[in-house]
Amino acid sequence: PSIVASHERVAFSVPSYFTTNSVHYSGRCLLKSYIRAALKRDEVVHVLGFEVSEEETRGDLDGSCAERLLFHDGYKDPLGWRKSASFTAHQFNSQDLTRILRQTQQPKAPVLVIDSLSWLLRHHDPVAICRSLQELRRGGAVRTIVGLLHSDLHNTSTVDCVSHLATAVVTLAPTSQGPLAVAKTTKRTKSGKVTQDEELFSIQGDLTVTIHRTVSQAGKKQTEQESSEADPTANLTFNLRLSDTEREAKEKVSLPFVFSQEKKSALLHKGQRSGRILYVPDANDDFDQEDPDDDLDV
Amino acid sequence: MYAELNSILNASPDNCKQGEFTLISDRKADASFLVHHFLSFYLRAGCKVCFLGLAQSFSHYSAVAQRLGVSLTQAKEKGQLVFYEGLKDCLGVLLREGSTHESPTLDFLRPHCSDLKGLYDFVSSSVARVGDAAGTGPWAPPVLLVDDLSVLLSLGVSAGAVLDFTHYCKATICTELQGNMVTLIRCEEEEEEQGDEQGSDVLLKGLIHQCSLALQVQGLLTGYCKHIHGEVEVWWRGVANGMQMQKKVLQYKVHDKGAVFFARGTSSVVL
Repeated sequence: PSIVASHERVAFSVPSYFTTNSVHYSGRCLLKSYIRAALKRDEVVHVLGFEVSEEETRGDLDGSCAERLLFHDGYKDPLGWRKSASFTAHQFNSQDLTRILRQTQQPKAPVLVIDSLSWLLRHHDPVAICRSLQELRRGGAVRTIVGLLHSDLHNTSTVDCVSHLATAVVTLAPTSQGPLAVAKTTKRTKSGKVTQDEELFSIQGDLTVTIHRTVSQAGKKQTEQESSEADPTANLTFNLRLSDTEREAKEKVSLPFVFSQEKKSALLHKGQRSGRILYVPDANDDFDQEDPDDDLDV
Repeated sequence: MYAELNSILNASPDNCKQGEFTLISDRKADASFLVHHFLSFYLRAGCKVCFLGLAQSFSHYSAVAQRLGVSLTQAKEKGQLVFYEGLKDCLGVLLREGSTHESPTLDFLRPHCSDLKGLYDFVSSSVARVGDAAGTGPWAPPVLLVDDLSVLLSLGVSAGAVLDFTHYCKATICTELQGNMVTLIRCEEEEEEQGDEQGSDVLLKGLIHQCSLALQVQGLLTGYCKHIHGEVEVWWRGVANGMQMQKKVLQYKVHDKGAVFFARGTSSVVL
């Protein structure tokens, strides 16, 4: 099955969608394939590019798709050092963004792709960014916001802060087997239900995504996962369980100190069979009742 | 210039790649031999080279380049090399603070300024002057070499400001002018105190995200060895054609006039 189909479902149902990644695996490929898939189904896609140039973003797309992509260049001069800026970091607020998104008169609400949130987080307060994203989402100027976040560049609180805002978070990690990677998707529905998915995927040269195996089934409760992960009896060197015959044998054994019928009769009929000490005093034995220790030379 | 490294990186002075951002990082080892390699490589390739020498003086680089068969003095006279003596100039700014005649290049050392715009302006103006020396013909494409970025951190620049600087250099040199960029960064050993380490850690990760080729030099885990000086991890990070990154780990030994690279455990003294 192809992920593009499932991608579509995700994109239609959720207003925002973030991809996180680390140094060891770049999420940009998946982001590009998302852009391609969105363009293929005739969506209006705006890309705020800070980390990758316009040519590179358009480069991997085929002709008609590349033409329809609307690129806002925050790559060449994001801080206004060269005084040739087309989009600067300061413009990242809901008013300016809404203005830019509405410039192109399109009947459909567009998809906004941010490449990347990490760049923005370096120049803005995380709170301000979260607020802008929230306002954008409420304002209705966009249908979906997709952002790339390099999660290893920020502290966990910032990553959490942005992740809480998202309705779906895809965390990518490499595997030992070459082009394959693991995508962990956490989706939050409006009712507050959280579902997690783990999939093994790879991206082909033409930016199509192939899912190879679903690692864990959708809708699995997290508590279940945690308890199965923390099973201490998983890899023991000894046996903790009993087979039926072993249990039978175990039950047959009578415990010491339990007063059974046998013990009772043994105690009552003691005599002949129990051991006795026979003592015949020797002639030399000078046993003095008064002083039993007198042979000790004390 | 090390021929062996060229074949590993699949490059030669006659046919050098364009738009490449190479990051060299080292940990418990010295990766400056790679800086010398790239300096002589790009000078031989006929590129216009802008070198920000923040860690060593010109005479040091010149002496090493001489051994590798390249004359920096000549390249400078021809206009091919622009060498920025950051080591001397920084001291100059710090000692003569408040004097009227100031170049904006080292603005970041002055209290009112925290970004590296001045340094970027210097870089962009020096790479833009392609072929203005009369009769020598144009040098293309431009190359920026920085040795090393960690010095900026020690001078009080924040990691974010350094990343902005490299971002601008990449946008101008690699993307716009189709040139190349090579920077060195030194990482601290792992058991350092938190506050300081964070800066260089963030800088390293940020740069790895920016670069297209990372060469990570590391000392041997088992300690010093006379015949194997360390390991280089070559990490192609280009994500073109849907290909994810490739990695290759090699061990190396630096000689007087070159370096040898070999697969792990295949050093001639081991076998």
